[in-house]
Amino acid sequence: MAWRFAILVVLCALASPGFAQDRVLVVTTTTDLRSLTEAVGGDRVEAVSLVPPNMDAEEYQPKPQDMLRLKQARLLVRVGLDYDLWLDRLLAQAARPEISRGGPAYVDASFAISVLELRGMSVGPGDGHAHGSGNPHYWLDPKNAETITANILEALARIDPANAVAYEANRQAFLARLNAKLAEWESKLSALKSVPIVAYHNSWPYFARRFRLDVIGFIETKPGVPPSPSHLAAIVRDMRARGARIVVREPHEPERDVAFVAGKAGAQVVTLAASVGALPRAGDYISLFDVNVEALASVAKR
Amino acid sequence: MMDVVQFLWPPFLVAVCLVGIHTYFGILVLARKVIFVDLALAQIAALGATVAFMLGHPAQSVATYGYSLTFTLLAAVLLAFTRAWGTRVPQEALIGVIYVVAAATAILLIDRAPQGAEHLKQILTGNILTSGLSDVALIVPLYAAVGLLHWLLRRHMTGAGSLAWEFVFYATFGVVVTSSVAIAGVLLVFSFLIIPAAIGVMFAESLARQLAIGWIVGTFVSAAGLAASFVFDLPTGATMVCAFGAALALAGILYPFLRGDRRSATRSTVATARWIIAAILAGSALQLAAAPRAEQPLLDFTEWAIPPLRALYFTRPEAATYADASEHAERYRLQAEQLNERERRNRTEGQPLDDFAVARISSFLKSYGEMRKGEQFVMNEVRMRARERVRWIGSLVLLACAVLIAPVPWRRLWAGKKPLTPHA
Repeated sequence: MAWRFAILVVLCALASPGFAQDRVLVVTTTTDLRSLTEAVGGDRVEAVSLVPPNMDAEEYQPKPQDMLRLKQARLLVRVGLDYDLWLDRLLAQAARPEISRGGPAYVDASFAISVLELRGMSVGPGDGHAHGSGNPHYWLDPKNAETITANILEALARIDPANAVAYEANRQAFLARLNAKLAEWESKLSALKSVPIVAYHNSWPYFARRFRLDVIGFIETKPGVPPSPSHLAAIVRDMRARGARIVVREPHEPERDVAFVAGKAGAQVVTLAASVGALPRAGDYISLFDVNVEALASVAKR
Repeated sequence: MMDVVQFLWPPFLVAVCLVGIHTYFGILVLARKVIFVDLALAQIAALGATVAFMLGHPAQSVATYGYSLTFTLLAAVLLAFTRAWGTRVPQEALIGVIYVVAAATAILLIDRAPQGAEHLKQILTGNILTSGLSDVALIVPLYAAVGLLHWLLRRHMTGAGSLAWEFVFYATFGVVVTSSVAIAGVLLVFSFLIIPAAIGVMFAESLARQLAIGWIVGTFVSAAGLAASFVFDLPTGATMVCAFGAALALAGILYPFLRGDRRSATRSTVATARWIIAAILAGSALQLAAAPRAEQPLLDFTEWAIPPLRALYFTRPEAATYADASEHAERYRLQAEQLNERERRNRTEGQPLDDFAVARISSFLKSYGEMRKGEQFVMNEVRMRARERVRWIGSLVLLACAVLIAPVPWRRLWAGKKPLTPHA
């Protein structure tokens, strides 16, 4: 399969001399942004994600190859909101002002997003003002794709003005497809409206707001710190009192702790993908929601 | 209360089983001076499981366990040889090398399969809180079998035996550690292994007595750690490790009282405590005099514990400004919290807020955050200026306290000077 694909790629490259070089190399931090960049850029861009699928982007450790990718990148798209803080050190090393904070080819995709759960202060390097960081999982609201793709489109049009019209058309087509899908997802998840759900990590506020889900608690209160017994006891008590039957987990989160809580409260575990590629069938931005909606809807039926 | 018992008794049972076998192995490990061998064996077992995972075997399958066991046995052969090789290079150095190479190899393998990272983490960071009776049912027969084998071979397990007996020791130890690390994590298993055994070795000579002391101490400290983690709402494994550390420190303090002359032990303990307090006070005095605007750990802590102490060095306008800023900061925090809560409830209740309303909430939250930050800046600045003003007198007072508390026999020093005068 893979080698057939490789031959196809080689043939395509041979058939259109110079084509491969003309493509705009866009480096993104996560696979979600890669998928959205591809949606805007179409076949005129080549998008690469630094964090491989199914890895926790908040705990990613950059590799030497990443530096090479940054050196060659014509556009950089990041999540922002302190989600990919490791990128800042990498950018400082790459020493390329055009893709660094404030440069023409630097996109912080969180620009103009309505951020939820702003608490405390950002720890990242900024312009000296203390902006709250908020919850960074904003791509999990499909409506936010409009803002994210607008940010990407603006930067793409700036560095490649010749193709601006094509990018604009790509984005419109993608948003039309997404909006049609959104209606379908909303109707599929209507059965879960106000059904109490518990998640392992607080990744789902944007998703919950869009689809009117009631996430009543989290197993892990601080990233990387195992839960305390009193917290687990409180969660299980809450779940029993409110009849929560669903515990949401991402593939990279510990199976045992989730199964423990679900077992105590008589709930089911649903594995959802919070990023493109986290589950095998969630190959791009739209199928990411397809997979998650399908998984949740099938539990709701049972 | 029911909740507590229901949640904590399965992990307590698991902890008792782990203390039982690990105290015994700990005493042997201390005698052999191979303290970090459990880390090396656990890492090797994890490497074996990683290889199985890479070859496509599911996590909890027989094949994966087989790979783990095979790797552990190979490591046991290596470890048995390290004593013979360890004549010029310390054995512990070779064990350390085995540990880091196994850990690094696992990382290299995992790099090829991202979804394996979580798998590797799970092998090495168990969570004792979520362990249950199914774990007890697995480890009790296993540990009983290992214990029986060691009792039968007790004459060969002293560490002076041949290579073959060394292999048996490391192999059985590897089997035990592989299972316990998956349940309780590397840190906690290391504490189970070393600390009860060390306390036993401190206070007794014979193996039976060392074991008895270790088991009793280990059981009590496990219970205390579990209870503390519930009462103070802390992660269980880390709390238990700290409880074991505190137990060892306490044993170290008690040791001279139980083993030596009680009076001289009391005297030296009090003197040490006074020296430590005097050193902390003198250090704070220096810090206040040299950098009044920097953190003052001692002052910050006492102010945090007893806020009225600020009245000692704040002028009245300073106190008023501070109180005003602190009240405003709290008000902004509460208002932001209320907005957050309203947005959260609105996700499922009533008409959904449109994106414009959410954007407004988000920008309100940002403003509240900035305003709160501003008030906190005022509070900090008032405090730093007040400290700057009292830096000399404050550090003199602290220094005087340090001099008073330090166990230096001032009077005797003063009197002792007289014989040095030419009159004597």
